[in-house]
Amino acid sequence: MTDYKKTYWDKLASGSLCLQFCTACNKFIFYPRELCPYCLERGLEWKPVSGHGKIYSYTIVYVSALPEFKEETPYIYAVIELAEGVKMPSNLIDCPLDKVKVGLPVMLAFIERDGKTVPVFKLSEAALSTTPLPFEGSQL
Amino acid sequence: MFQQGHPSIIGIGELKPTLDAGGRSTLDLMAEAAAKAIQDAGLHKDEIDGLLVTPPSEDSYFLWPSQVAEYLQLSPTFMNMVELGGASAAGTIARASLMVDAGVCKNCLCLSSGVWDKQVFNTREGKTAVMSQAEIDYDLPYGPMGFNSGYGLIARRHISEYGTTSEQLAKIAVDQRINAMANPDALFNQKLLTVKDVLESPVIVDPLHLLEIVRPCSGAAAVIVSRFTQANNTHDPIEIRGFGEAYTHNSITYAPSLTISPIKMAAERAFQMAGVKAQDINLVSLYDCYTITVLISLEDIGFCRKGEGGKFVEDTDLTYKGSLPCNTHGGQLSCGQASFAGGMSHVTEAVRQLRGEAGLRQVKNNDLALVNGNGGVMSTQCCLILGRR
Repeated sequence: MTDYKKTYWDKLASGSLCLQFCTACNKFIFYPRELCPYCLERGLEWKPVSGHGKIYSYTIVYVSALPEFKEETPYIYAVIELAEGVKMPSNLIDCPLDKVKVGLPVMLAFIERDGKTVPVFKLSEAALSTTPLPFEGSQL
Repeated sequence: MFQQGHPSIIGIGELKPTLDAGGRSTLDLMAEAAAKAIQDAGLHKDEIDGLLVTPPSEDSYFLWPSQVAEYLQLSPTFMNMVELGGASAAGTIARASLMVDAGVCKNCLCLSSGVWDKQVFNTREGKTAVMSQAEIDYDLPYGPMGFNSGYGLIARRHISEYGTTSEQLAKIAVDQRINAMANPDALFNQKLLTVKDVLESPVIVDPLHLLEIVRPCSGAAAVIVSRFTQANNTHDPIEIRGFGEAYTHNSITYAPSLTISPIKMAAERAFQMAGVKAQDINLVSLYDCYTITVLISLEDIGFCRKGEGGKFVEDTDLTYKGSLPCNTHGGQLSCGQASFAGGMSHVTEAVRQLRGEAGLRQVKNNDLALVNGNGGVMSTQCCLILGRR
């Protein structure tokens, strides 16, 4: 296993979601790697994230071919846009299926899955009482 | 612009898609499609001096073009494998055009095939086989359903941003089925679909229903690209006027946008090279792994404004009888997706239409067609402009 992969999961096992940060580019990076994908320099630092984010998009999986998820359906698979500016795939847990919406604020949580501590997200308290955040413009 | 050769498609060959390949291999199917294309072009096998192949579906990738050349007993001056996922087939045509135009080869055989093995497809191994290591490490723990969940994310975001409806998305599958009913070779041409049928089919990954998702199958397709001057007169040669490609991401999680795809740039490049506009196009052959793929393609190519695709497909007859015929063979949604050959079906159908050989589903205006190949989750794009000379 590469060093950065091990670091990512080790930090999670100790209860912290840390992402790599490039001081030259002033950017967080996901997923972990050896070189900064923007400037291709080494020396990425690990920094804990705030745990705040919002739902960039989601899908409710009703049919899963993955044996360990067959009993979990329907479950919410989502792309979370973290406050740090990066997007990551994840699950939205403890969320009634009729409450999930694009743009809702979410908070980091942890679950144990397949012998690993895995970062997932829950609707933030505010999300359950407020309307979704407005969209930012497309970037492409 | 091509320099001199006017690269043209002079032969096509395609096998009728089947759910069960009956024990035949990717190579077996490729060889049969190649024979059909060579015959269609009026060539002898020995005149094939270029070979571009899409990847195998079950065999070893190692030296794959060499494996194919050996089976076919070809000794080309140029060969390669094009791996752009669903855009591979269109990618072979773009690359063949360049090599033919440059004079590296005279007759380039573009070959694609796929054997669907249901024993492998719906297993963990089947899913991880089409994932990057980054996806296996940081995505698989969340139960992604491969392409299904990727396109589900896109559809959900499009619905949220623009108010697109499931009814509008379903209309795409409905219109394409009308096309398939006029195609004896379609996998699904037994009965018409209604919007209600689509919406009542099981939700697989919300908001996508079963009938909005391509059905894997087995098949093969071959296309021969040659210099126009060498084209024989068996059929009208179909000129490759231009192509454009664009790439922005591998996993959809890291795409710059979920609703604006790299098709926009690929189409702009193709139009610029061909010297035409979206309004000049008579028919489109758009990679349709999902209904949402077609809707986003129509927007990004410029047939309507971003966000108005739902209304556009609702108001536009996309059948072979309509104002913008789209996937007149029924698309992969009605013909099935024979792995990498699914993308080639969009090329062969455009050629049939431009030749005027599309039978019951022949469109009236057939001067200029746009073909798009899309790979991954809107990741790799290859857009072709094909026209009659």
